[in-house]
Formats: sequence, C-alpha cells, structure tokens
Amino acid sequence: MIAPGALDDIKVLDISQGIAGPFAAKILADFGADVIKVEPLTGDFGRTMAPFHKDDPDIEKSLFFLLLNLNKRGITLNLETSTGQKIFKELVAQCDVVVESFEPGYLNSIGLGYEELEKINPQIVLTSITWFGQTGPYSNYKGEEIVAYAMSGIMSISGTADREPLKHGGFQSQYESGINGALSTAFTLLMRDFTEEGQHVDVSIQEVVNSTLVVNQPFYSWTGAVQGRRRSEGAGFGNVMPCADGYFISQPGGGATWDDIVKFYGNEALHEEKFANAEQRVQNGVEFDGILTEATKDRKMHEMFKSASEDYRMLFGIVQTPEDLANCPQLEARNFYQDVDHPVIGKIKVPFRLFNMSETPSQYRIPSPTLGQHNVEVYTETLNYTKEDLVKLRELEII
Amino acid sequence: MTKSPFENLRVIDSTYVFAMPYAGGILGDLGAEVIKVEGPGHLDIVRGGQFSGGFPENDPGTDYWNRSASFNLLNRNKKSLTLDLSKEECREYLKELISISDVMMENYTPRVMRRWGLDYENIKKIKPDIILISNTGYGHGDGPFSAYPAQATTQEATHGHCYITGYDNDIPSKAGASYVDFLACWSGLFAVASALRYRNRTGKGQWIDIGMYQLGVMGTAEYIMDWQSNSNKSGRFGNRHPWRTPQGTYPCKGIDQWVVLSIGEDSQWNDFCEIMGKPNLSSDDKYATLLSRRANHDELDDIIAKWTVQLNKYEIMELLQSKNIPAGPVFDSADCNLNPHYKETGFIERVEYPESRNMGTRKIMGRPWRGSKLDARIRRPIEPLGSSNSEILKDLIGMSDKDFEDFKSQGFIAEQPTTIQNVSPVPLEEQVNLGRLAYFDPDYKTKLGI
Repeated sequence: MIAPGALDDIKVLDISQGIAGPFAAKILADFGADVIKVEPLTGDFGRTMAPFHKDDPDIEKSLFFLLLNLNKRGITLNLETSTGQKIFKELVAQCDVVVESFEPGYLNSIGLGYEELEKINPQIVLTSITWFGQTGPYSNYKGEEIVAYAMSGIMSISGTADREPLKHGGFQSQYESGINGALSTAFTLLMRDFTEEGQHVDVSIQEVVNSTLVVNQPFYSWTGAVQGRRRSEGAGFGNVMPCADGYFISQPGGGATWDDIVKFYGNEALHEEKFANAEQRVQNGVEFDGILTEATKDRKMHEMFKSASEDYRMLFGIVQTPEDLANCPQLEARNFYQDVDHPVIGKIKVPFRLFNMSETPSQYRIPSPTLGQHNVEVYTETLNYTKEDLVKLRELEII
Repeated sequence: MTKSPFENLRVIDSTYVFAMPYAGGILGDLGAEVIKVEGPGHLDIVRGGQFSGGFPENDPGTDYWNRSASFNLLNRNKKSLTLDLSKEECREYLKELISISDVMMENYTPRVMRRWGLDYENIKKIKPDIILISNTGYGHGDGPFSAYPAQATTQEATHGHCYITGYDNDIPSKAGASYVDFLACWSGLFAVASALRYRNRTGKGQWIDIGMYQLGVMGTAEYIMDWQSNSNKSGRFGNRHPWRTPQGTYPCKGIDQWVVLSIGEDSQWNDFCEIMGKPNLSSDDKYATLLSRRANHDELDDIIAKWTVQLNKYEIMELLQSKNIPAGPVFDSADCNLNPHYKETGFIERVEYPESRNMGTRKIMGRPWRGSKLDARIRRPIEPLGSSNSEILKDLIGMSDKDFEDFKSQGFIAEQPTTIQNVSPVPLEEQVNLGRLAYFDPDYKTKLGI
C-alpha cells in the first residue's frame, strides 16, 4: 500500500541547478510533491558533476545528479526565449512552488521574477536559494562551497591553529541549504493554507552555514571574545586519534563515568590528578594524547566502537569510510538506502531516507529523469500541446 | 478562523543542547507558543559549561543559568517550565499539558520515553492528533547502534565527515562545530511544518523519528556512490575542489588573516593572472589548462600566496569579485557580527532584555531564510527559569495550590537549579594567553551598537 505524502497535494517546478536547489526540491518530492524538473536544453550543470557511474562522464551517468533528483519528472525548456517563457508561465499557473538558484536578478531580467509569477498565480511560492541571498551588498557576488565556508565564519575555527583554516569535506553548505530550502518552503505552504497568498522565499547559503555557529557567534556579542582554531596536539578529547586500523574520537560524558573511561582505555595513569578535569587534560594534553594513543595502537576501531558504546556507555565515534557506510547495519535497519533502477545506470543503491514520519513517510517512486524524459507527458497532458507542436518547439530549440 | 497557523499553536519542548532547542526557538520566531520543560536537577547543559558561549561581559551574575549566550540564542521566545519528569506525579501533569498541545519535542534516548510511558503509542492515547518529534543519535528501532550514546562531536567521525575532511594527504579531521545537530534541527522543522499541514488537512497527527547519524551520512552521499560504482576511496584533499583549480585558502596581510578563492573557467584564470600582475602566467604551459593547473597545484599555491600576503583580505575579495571570480575573506566571529552584508539582510537581530535581567541588549542571528509575507522574528528573550510554572501548571492545567506548594517543597518544580554549580569563567585575556581564544575585542559593545 502506498502511504499518503505530507505534500502530495503540491506541485513543484524545479528550475534550480547544482546541489542546494535540487536537493530542496527532492526533499519536497520524497514527501509526496509532484516535482517537475525544468532543465535548459544542455541540462542542469549537476549532470556534469562527478562521481559518474563506472567513471564514464556521460551526462546521464552522474551519480551526484542521480541522488539529488530522484522522484522528479524531467522536461527541457529554454527559458531565454519568449516562447519558452510563455510556456513556463502556463506551468506556473498550475503549480504551487517554483524552486530556483539563479543569480539574484536573473529571473527578473527574463520576465519571470516573483512579481510576474504572482500575477499569473497569486498563490505561487517562489523559493530562491543563493550564495548570499537576494539583498545586501554581496548579493551579486560569486559564491562557491569554499567561499560560503569562509564567509560564514566556520573556517576560522576549523583546522588547527598552526595551519590555514580548513573547509569541511564535500559540499556541506549546499546540502544544509537544500534542507533549509525545503523547510522554508514547507512553512510558507503551511502559511498559505491560511492566507491563500504565495510569497517569495529567500534562502542565503552563507547565512545557513553561519547559523551553525551557535556558541562561537554570540560569544562575541556577549563578551567580545573571538575563538580561533584548536591546537594541533594536546587538545584532549574531541580530536581524531589513531588506532590499529583507522581513527576514532572519544569524549567524556554520555552514560560513562571517569572510572568507566579509565577502564575502557585500561591505563590507571588516567586516574592521576593531572587528568581529573577538562582544564587539566588540556594543560597536560600532550601526555594525555600519548596515553590514549598507546592504549589504542593495537585495537581495531569497530571493536572499540562496540565495546565503548555498549559496555561503557561512552561517547565514542570512529572514522568510518564510504565503504563502511555503504555496508553499515544501522543504516540498513533504518532503511537509509533505496534500490533504484535507472534507465541508463541500471540498478544501484542510493542514500535516500533522511528521517521517519509515521503517517507520511518519504517514499521512492521514480529514478532521476534522463534529459527531457517527460517532455511528451508533461507538455501534452499537463499542458495541452500536441505532438506536432512539440516537433516545432524542438526545431526552434525551445524544448 | 485565525490568519496564521502559528497562532494558538502550542509546542512542548522537552529537549536539550542544540538541535531540538534551536528548532523550538525558530518555531517561536514564527509565532508558536513554545514551552521549554526542564527538570530542576536536569537543566539544559548549555545554560553553563563548555557549550554556553559565555555570559554577558563574562560575568555569570547571580543567576548564571539564565544568562549564557548559546542558551539564549537557541531558546529565544520560550516560556520556561520546570518539572521533574523522572517522577510519576510530574509526568501526570505533563500528560495534562500534552492533551492541550499540538507538538511535543523530545530528545531522550529511546528507552527513557518508553520507561516513562511517554512513547508515541502512549502519547497518542492522550492526544490523538499530537505531532511527536523524537531526535536521537541513531534513530529508534532495532538497529545495532540504536541505544548507543551519541553527540555530534563523536558522530562527525562515525557518519563519515572526518574521513572526507582534513588537510591534503593528512589525517582525518573535524570541522566546524556540532555539524549534525543543525541538520537535525532543520530536518525537524521541515517535518513539523509538513506534519502540521497534513494534520490540518486530515485531522491526523504523527510521529517524527529523527536519527542524526543518517542525516550526517547524507552529506557524504556522493562519496558512498563513488565507492559503490568505482571503488574510489579518495578522501581528503584539504581546501581544494574536485575539479575547480586553483582553489585554496591563502594568507593575507595581518595576523591570522586569510582569503579563499576558487577558479574554474579559463577566462577566470586569465583575469586572475591579470589581477596578480602576472599576465604571462595564464599562457605558461604549466598553468594554461585546468588539467595542467591541477598537476602543478602546489607550485601555483606558492605563487598565489606570495601575492595575497601583500594585501588585505577585503581588497582581494573586491578585486576578484569585480571580475566575477568567487573569492572571500575567512571571517571570524567578529567579522560575522559586524559585516555590513549580514547587517543589511536583516539576519542579525537585536534583542533587548528587560532591565531586571541585567543582560543589556544583544545581537543574535535570526534565520537564514526570509519569506516576503512570513512574520518571522525573535519576539522576546527566553524568560528566567521556571517563570511560567504557576501560569502553566495552575492556570492552564488546573493544578491545585496545595499540589503546587508540595511540588515546590519536594523540588519537583523550582525557579533555580537543584545544584548550583560554581561557575567562574576564566578572564578573557587569560583565555587568549592559554590559546583558547584567538583574541578579545574590548570595544565590541560600541561596534555592535549595544
């Protein structure tokens, strides 16, 4: 039986590209929204992002594109032509949400800004996800993952004090902003149910990342203090430490007493006064790190994780690799992965389920679209174009 | 009918630390009535200690538990109720409150709520259309890690982020602060908004079960796909980009001042060489193409650093941005508080405390998104501990005066913590000397206009 979706009454046009916008629209789709991905004739640039299936850089084989665009139908439409703009407006008239990630001002310049869309459909929600937001002196600055990380403040406390600030691996700012795009859209839809008015939602990637600095950022407003990066060694708990076959992080707390922790590491020296509290562990950090390293040099990380968590109730983490994550029994138990059968890539396991909702769970329906896969279906069924019209539109490079 | 879904929306927030308290605070920004429930002997740890972010002017005052920076940021707008939920008689009153609430938030380990008879099955009997949101490290259910203690710091390793984060060819590293908590906060808000819409349409509530671990893993999804499809184990490449070159963090004029830049297209590269005053570099075979720049990235970094170190970080940003090259300074927390862009977007909000709180005026971050017709703003500071005890317990759910006094004398409810910690912050200048702070800016109040 197919469960209802929390957003199964909502239609979305996803004209965004890359990571953040498509991820936002995918979350709406996973919870039931009917999402039509509208791509330029050359495709979302996300189709050119690695990794590719079997390292074959074909626009239909980007695994990144695949995982960000599940559950969407896909059409092509050239928004830079007046015919394309007219067709887009016809779609807007029938939809609830438009998700976009163009530079601020671009949609206005092609006559598709919020004021225009609102005239066609007063209930439309336009969600814009951009590096610096729609207003302010930097709104037209060019962004990139590393720029968002730098200008959000988070790099200043990441990495070690003796080296340059360090970016988080991957594309975290854009995943984070995808979730914020989805949540701000959902709140706006909730609002619309009462007011029957749409609105323009403005998500700033820079501010999304800055929002995570809930200790560091107000510290300045409260005291004038500015934090920096940690020392590379001797910082006590909370740092990555080596073991026999990998790395781990441990922290005091959880359900563990200090006795438990000393027992886990099996070295009575940790009972000495100089390690009795966090202050002293920092002061005697080099020696402290040395004891931990010695105690764990022959131990394997997965075994330590199990024992620390189950027998000692410690806060303990291990540096899992992508391979570990692909085979993780906990993720299996949570149905995190989704088996997908893609028309070009074939069968593949895709990271999918973010969290559980008992009445309206996220559900997989269709793989990511190939370029223009649903043109006929959308243009002839949702709109009333004939197949002959489509041929003409193709010839004119509109679809 | 009301004109807002948030009017008359009551949220019970029985949560601690970052993720869910922050979500509750933002629900308050939207206009919901959010009641923070804490045990008098089990207060939210961000009220003091290492996650507190300091006290006003580094002074804990006579009621440190009401004054910390991060606690006040995360819990803005909320009413404060104390109730010792480990006691059966207190849970009975919580159930009364649940029966007249819309949303309940909790982040206890799975067995605690079951033991207390407050798991979804039981809560649903009290209020059939309740929306319960549970946030745990690994999620409910029978997975092998489900009962493991968890915290963002240790999870950052387990959910794969340390593996992909680190200096080039160096050991894995942490980055940022409690990253996964915020994914949980935002996911929770999305889920609550969706569940409220669904409830308004169908009359049905539901249970939202968030496990932070899988949210963190999602941020490494492309690496997992790469491993699956290509057996590719590539992990850490520092501040570089998988395909844009050069990209990195470079030193600027001053102490601990840095700029980042990221160059993809050849045209950007050509413009950049002009800006550096080295126009010949762009046609040098070693650097002319994306692939050759990649092969010679180390050398290129040295050339770039020799140029950047002569200039101010803002100068470089402006020079590069004027040619449409993504670049920006590494902001520290003073920059983020004072930068004109942050000010003008309205992201940083001004919160004024009543005179009696002795907290002055503070600037704190609002939300990273705005709706043109969404009235979201920090409405008021969280009130002092237990301020709403009487209003909620007596006026709202009808506790008798006698029970109220009994609860008070038994310490089930209180207006100060059962155990008052000795909170004496190290002077800031000393913290700078100990290497715990980068620096201390004595003029922060003037600069912030507070």
